[in-house]
Amino acid sequence: MTNHLNELTIAGARVKLDAGEISSVDLTQACLDEIASRNPSLNALLETWGEDALRDAARADERRTDGSVAGPLDGIPIVVKDNILVEGKRASAGSKILEPYVSVSDATVTRKLKGQGAVLIGRANMDEFAMGSSTEHSAYGPTRHPKDPDRVPGGSSGGSACATAAHLCLGALGSDTGGSIRQPASFCGIVGLKPTYGRVSRSGLMAMASSFDQIGPLAKTVEDAALIFQAIQGADPMDQTTVSANPFAPAWRERLNGLRIGLPIQAWGEGIDPGVRERVMAAADVFRALGAEVVDVDLPYQDEVLAVYYVVMPCEASANLARFDGMRYGARHQGSSLLETYLETRREFIGAEPRRRILLGTYALSSGYYDAYYRKAKQVQTLIRNAYASAMTKVDMLLTPTTPSVAFRLGEKTNDPLAMYLEDLFTVGANVTGLPAISVPCGDDGGLPVGLHLTGRAFEESALLAAARAYEESRAA
Amino acid sequence: MPKEDVLAVARLARIGVTEDEVERIGDELGAVLGYVERLQRVETTGVPEASALPVLARAFRQDAVNGCSETERAFIEENFPASEGGFLKAPAVFERPKR
Repeated sequence: MTNHLNELTIAGARVKLDAGEISSVDLTQACLDEIASRNPSLNALLETWGEDALRDAARADERRTDGSVAGPLDGIPIVVKDNILVEGKRASAGSKILEPYVSVSDATVTRKLKGQGAVLIGRANMDEFAMGSSTEHSAYGPTRHPKDPDRVPGGSSGGSACATAAHLCLGALGSDTGGSIRQPASFCGIVGLKPTYGRVSRSGLMAMASSFDQIGPLAKTVEDAALIFQAIQGADPMDQTTVSANPFAPAWRERLNGLRIGLPIQAWGEGIDPGVRERVMAAADVFRALGAEVVDVDLPYQDEVLAVYYVVMPCEASANLARFDGMRYGARHQGSSLLETYLETRREFIGAEPRRRILLGTYALSSGYYDAYYRKAKQVQTLIRNAYASAMTKVDMLLTPTTPSVAFRLGEKTNDPLAMYLEDLFTVGANVTGLPAISVPCGDDGGLPVGLHLTGRAFEESALLAAARAYEESRAA
Repeated sequence: MPKEDVLAVARLARIGVTEDEVERIGDELGAVLGYVERLQRVETTGVPEASALPVLARAFRQDAVNGCSETERAFIEENFPASEGGFLKAPAVFERPKR
């Protein structure tokens, strides 16, 4: 027997909660029931915090009856990615090297969600150390696509995307360094937002590439994504890269007159599946019908943006993963000396993909190669940023597919690291430039979801989400 | 990537690599390096390296000691891979490898 409360949106649940029609305990229990039913085969969640969740839900219900609701997310079941710290809970970043690790304190975003009364229901599976585009690189087994168990949900926030799409929760937090929120959102048919770099604190997020990483929401609707984003945004003394820009507040629009959307000529070349191309082109027509101007725009260096990412990111990651050495926390393989302990611990407990990227980054930063690889990539990154800035003088946002294809089969790309990296083609630009970007479902191709990808100007998420929501509403009509 | 380079980089990265892995790793890294080679053809004379985002960095904060709560201490100790008397036990830095 199920009441399907887990299928509500956050906004929808909020209305019913505030009207006293449903309780947070019932809502949470519905999610827990669905988790019990489907998670064994999906493997979206590595751990469910059922007892704590029900206790928090009960407290949320008390606040509601007392008239002291803590915020829009009060009593709403949310999943957090396994690389975001929740005090007293395990966090493993999908890796064996952190299997025993218990978080010492809450991440800033965790603290903010708790402050609003959100019910943190479990931790989501992910590619190890956020390195991957399919969640196949998790040391705890892959997560499966909610619609097709033979396919991947995308990655690295595959667990978060699957959990949200399969209604195991009402929304989730993910992290995005090269597309890791947006790509799985696209594959699973939900909304995924990477905020402008500096909008959301990274304190308590296990760092992968510190100049690219952002935490963001995965949600069933644009409005839900906005609600989560509002809860987690904000300058933080614990993260000096956060900025006190004008806080995001929704500015929904029915019509998009005056909006200029650019189709980057160089991005729309070959390599896009026909079905994906057709769906996103159809979305472009919807934007036109809503009053937006949709035009071609020049965006050079599209052939180089992925290369810049796959130099700079491994370089930063090689530094950020140096701390996983078996010394202070996590798994340790005790060797005969300090050096042996390092070598054996990291060989045994860090997976193949992170090891690959650490080696790549170490090489590119090493004496004799630093100028040719890292310094060169940082210079091209300036050219890319300038190219985007120039395009954004002609248009207000850029439209591409989120991914070149729909969800691929498990095992299809694991033998060829480069083939997996090419999945990030459309998404990495937003990380390399720091700009905000969102993936929104725009139909199916052969029964599998297709996502459109909008990139906006820095700190102009209200315009970005307004365009996304107008599209979403127009499709629902 | 040549075998010696793989072994040298692995040593720098403190990651143990077995003999039979070296060739495969070399091929995989070589493939990625081959892909990023395209950056070499981009003209970058006089182009500055991308600076850290965002431009409006935060002001400094006081370098104040916050201390550590008992709960935090308990978690930190629980996380020690090896401990003795509440202290973290780790291999000696200067100890010679035992033969």
